[in-house]
Amino acid sequence: MKISINWLNEYFNQQIDKLELVNKFNLMSQEVAGLSKLVDVEGLLIGHVKSLEKHPDADKLSVCQVDVKNELLQIICGAPNVAQGQKVIVAKTGVVLPGDFKIKKVKIRGIESNGMICSLAELDVQEFDVKEKGIYVLPDDAQVGEDPLKYLGLDDYVLELDLTANRSDLLSIRGVAYDTACMLDWDLNIPDVRVIREGVENPVNIYTTTRDSSTYYGQVVENIKVKDSPFWLKSRLISAGIRPINNVVDVTNYVMLEYGQPLHAFDYDKISSDRIIVREAKTGEKIVTLDGEERSLLAGDVVITDGTKPIALAGVMGGLETEIDEKSSRILLESAVFNPVKVRRTANRLNLKSESSSRFEKGIDASKTLEALNRACELLIQYANAIVIGRPSFYNTANTKDKIISLSLEKLNSIVGYTFDEETVENILTRLRFSFKNKSGEFRVKIPNRRPMESYQDLVEEIVRINGYDKIPLSIPETPTQGGLSDRQKTKRSIRSFLVNRGLNETKTYSLVNEENACKFDLKATEIIKIMNPLTQERECLRHSLLPSLTSVLSYNKSRKIEDVQIFEIGNTYFKDTETEKIAILLNGSADKSTWQKDEGQIDFYYIKGLVEALFEQLNIKNYAFGIPSVNIVNLHPGISAEIVIQGKVCGFIGKLHPEEEHEIGVKDIYVCEFETDNIYKSKGFHNTIYQEISKYPSIKRDIAILVDDGVQAQKIIDVIKINAKKTLKAVEIFDIYQDISLGSKKSIALTLEFMSADRTLETKEVDDYLEKIVSSLEEQLSAQLRK
Amino acid sequence: METKLKRLILSAESEIQKTKTNNELLDIKAKYLGKKSEFNDLMQEMKNLPASERPLFGKLINEAKQEISNLIDKQKQIMEKAQINQRLASEAIDITMPGRQFKIGHKHILTKTIEEIEDIFIGLGYVIKEGPEIETDKYNFEMLNLPKDHPAREMQDSFYITEDLLLRTHTSPVQVRSLLENAQQLPLKIICPGVVYRKDDDDQTHSHQFMQIEALVVDEKTILADLKGTLLLVAKKLFGENREIRLRPSYFPFTEPSVEVDVSCFKCNGTGCSMCKNSGWIEILGAGMVNNNVLEACGYDSRKFQGFALGMGIERIAMLKYGIDDIRLLYTNDLRFNSQF
Repeated sequence: MKISINWLNEYFNQQIDKLELVNKFNLMSQEVAGLSKLVDVEGLLIGHVKSLEKHPDADKLSVCQVDVKNELLQIICGAPNVAQGQKVIVAKTGVVLPGDFKIKKVKIRGIESNGMICSLAELDVQEFDVKEKGIYVLPDDAQVGEDPLKYLGLDDYVLELDLTANRSDLLSIRGVAYDTACMLDWDLNIPDVRVIREGVENPVNIYTTTRDSSTYYGQVVENIKVKDSPFWLKSRLISAGIRPINNVVDVTNYVMLEYGQPLHAFDYDKISSDRIIVREAKTGEKIVTLDGEERSLLAGDVVITDGTKPIALAGVMGGLETEIDEKSSRILLESAVFNPVKVRRTANRLNLKSESSSRFEKGIDASKTLEALNRACELLIQYANAIVIGRPSFYNTANTKDKIISLSLEKLNSIVGYTFDEETVENILTRLRFSFKNKSGEFRVKIPNRRPMESYQDLVEEIVRINGYDKIPLSIPETPTQGGLSDRQKTKRSIRSFLVNRGLNETKTYSLVNEENACKFDLKATEIIKIMNPLTQERECLRHSLLPSLTSVLSYNKSRKIEDVQIFEIGNTYFKDTETEKIAILLNGSADKSTWQKDEGQIDFYYIKGLVEALFEQLNIKNYAFGIPSVNIVNLHPGISAEIVIQGKVCGFIGKLHPEEEHEIGVKDIYVCEFETDNIYKSKGFHNTIYQEISKYPSIKRDIAILVDDGVQAQKIIDVIKINAKKTLKAVEIFDIYQDISLGSKKSIALTLEFMSADRTLETKEVDDYLEKIVSSLEEQLSAQLRK
Repeated sequence: METKLKRLILSAESEIQKTKTNNELLDIKAKYLGKKSEFNDLMQEMKNLPASERPLFGKLINEAKQEISNLIDKQKQIMEKAQINQRLASEAIDITMPGRQFKIGHKHILTKTIEEIEDIFIGLGYVIKEGPEIETDKYNFEMLNLPKDHPAREMQDSFYITEDLLLRTHTSPVQVRSLLENAQQLPLKIICPGVVYRKDDDDQTHSHQFMQIEALVVDEKTILADLKGTLLLVAKKLFGENREIRLRPSYFPFTEPSVEVDVSCFKCNGTGCSMCKNSGWIEILGAGMVNNNVLEACGYDSRKFQGFALGMGIERIAMLKYGIDDIRLLYTNDLRFNSQF
């Protein structure tokens, strides 16, 4: 909402200090978006073109002698409409026009020019007179040497407020005046409206068949002379950001700004009946609105009709057919109240947001509907030669009774924590111009209709803001509670710390991705969730995996010459009936390396596998395994991928990206992993760590090498060893693997087995027996041969 | 006799000092202290002496032998030390060669900021609550005093999945869920961090996805002054001990009274700069006393219960703290950016 300071000043006996007003609004009412001059130019003068002659060396230029009271200026002007005897707007040398355009003394083709005769466009207020062609010519009564902006009413400041949804009362200058008076503790002068009506009966009949309009006043006004509005009225509209059109339309807009009540003017002679019927639109009905667009209507829209067809979209926009034009002489003025929800829906659907619709949407003061109409009549009599015919026709079912809200001092203080006394509250209510009764701290407050309020909380808010938030003391909630992280939250933090400490960077990417990426890496290939109203196709679907986003991050960084990309993200993935939190890891490039020592920190499958194993170790997760995927994991290399199984449940995967994927991304050797965190949280062994005594007895290590078929997996060998060993087997480690043509389709695997007892020193013989048993079971179960 | 011994020692000393290797030293040891040494000859001579002189003579010989033995040991130590020094010299490396390049990972700046805020509130006795990102209209709006067609819904243009399901526009539905969950209506002090979505085109200051953290306190005695005290404490922890706060009236459907909270500019200390647009204050969050309609919708008697709520955008806090001027940097994941924090 933009407010003219000059206009606001009319409500008070003294001049507003603009900066104080800004401060008051910021701290007690609504945030100020800005305070600026309406026309940002200083030092303009009204000049009189005494004489002019053609520039000897330039056809289109005139050399003017302009009287600005104390001096005669020679100014060269290129406007075709400049003429002797005109009163014009002069910018002398030194004046700075909008756009940081400084007027300088110049010579144009040998002739000196000491200023500029201005157009409105050059002052950035072309809307003041859209018919302007060239320089702006002032009427003859303009006083030479005076400030032209003052003469035109444009010497104004504009205060812009960011209004919140609960302060629709500030969508009118009167509402702003009420709040200003309250904050400054000033007297407020609200002028009376006087309309002289001519005797004849108002010819129009008004009806409604819908509940979506509680009030409708229709007033026929005759003898209208459509012309330009007076300067003061135009400048008021411009200060509010509304373009002046003609006196009739301008008056309706002016009253809307004054009262917050949108009005509409129909050319009454263009309405084909004497009936106005407000009703719900029929689906498929059409109307051409003032902007020339044909609009298709739906049931639910509210329309003003002439009894048969729509002539206006209620509260949104008038119809072109009944538009006011220069020839209009009889008009019908409408001042009405429409259902905010209906206005909002229609305006949204048709993308027709207007000053009018935005006020209806937020709710208007139905107690001022008639007064606003009368105010428009008053202005039309003054500025459009209007004769007001009889009293308005109307219906009015709006409840405009004042609302009573009760609030005790005790309740107020128990909410705020500040000790208000009765006198302070009385003073604030008086300044708010709310009438009230106070029975020893029990307040019964009559809320005027201009302020929509529901409950005592609304009233508390008013009292607190006017009293000042700076006066509220400081304390902390008294209730003792124990804060802390849940086990889940702690685990999530340790996962992050672990991965960060292993050199990985955490990323944050968008949940919304395109359809192709949304389905990637989904083990179950379930249905994706789409947004009904996406911004773009790129952000249309909720992802099933974090990995496509991580590969995008990889591409982004690779294309910027960042070689080593080791990243992870913890975030949600979205399925039809659930949201699943996942961890995704992507590794590419080198890990910790020392190039000159020939250690390139190569990342391969076993690197990422080791990383995940170490994470599980850190989190004390015992019962996990990497298994051959039961089905190929799409987008992964079928031979270099595994599923992650925790406590028997597949909860993720690990592997190298499929060569096709790598080709598409343009990067080789991308290793990824993704798994659901839920299983981690559930499996993590909380509180179950019990100290194990460290064995006092030495361990015995034995190395064996066996030949097995190429297809026998290492895990199989280890499993067989573990199953067949006694408790004394403490550890098994593969320390070498060897393949050679000489071995045919077999491979040699060398293992170290460590034996130890918790309660005694093992005998060599004992260990030999264990080993023998293990070897024979390897021979039996895996056809292994012991290499000697 | 004595002269003879002295001469022997001097000659041994001179020979010992010339030795370079262990073997040479062993030879000298054999020569002077072995069975065929001159000392042996002297011992033979001792038999010819009168018995009274023998002890003295023996003593002198032993002393001389001991001295030579000491000299040999000493030389041995010198030789060993030289060997060690030689070895150490040969083992010296160029310590200016680069060390192994350990990768340094970084938590995302949003995570860091959230954890920082979480820890402040945990210290004040709050617990962390989380909830789904896909929400029902009921939890995201209706229960929060935002009925259908409420004009304030336009402040939060939403991504809809169905008529009734949407991506949550704020973390406030977690407050609703927590209030409902708290069946015994015990004092509640929670914070709710999380991802939220609004239908805004991404630009320097807008992001269709961002993060919020909200706090909620509901009990029978929490007052507006408690909100103000909590806000000041949080502002000081986040932006420095010398910070002040300022409350300005605002509007949120779920709180009343509602306020915007400004912190005194930490760049210029309130004197005015580009960061605070010369106002000396920077807006950091919104807050207010819980609206009775929210309490009632969650089954709390608003005559008995009251409390406050506050909410802030994590991106905004992080951007202010670290001087970041484009919100998109937080979601681009340029590692040259991510690794700065």
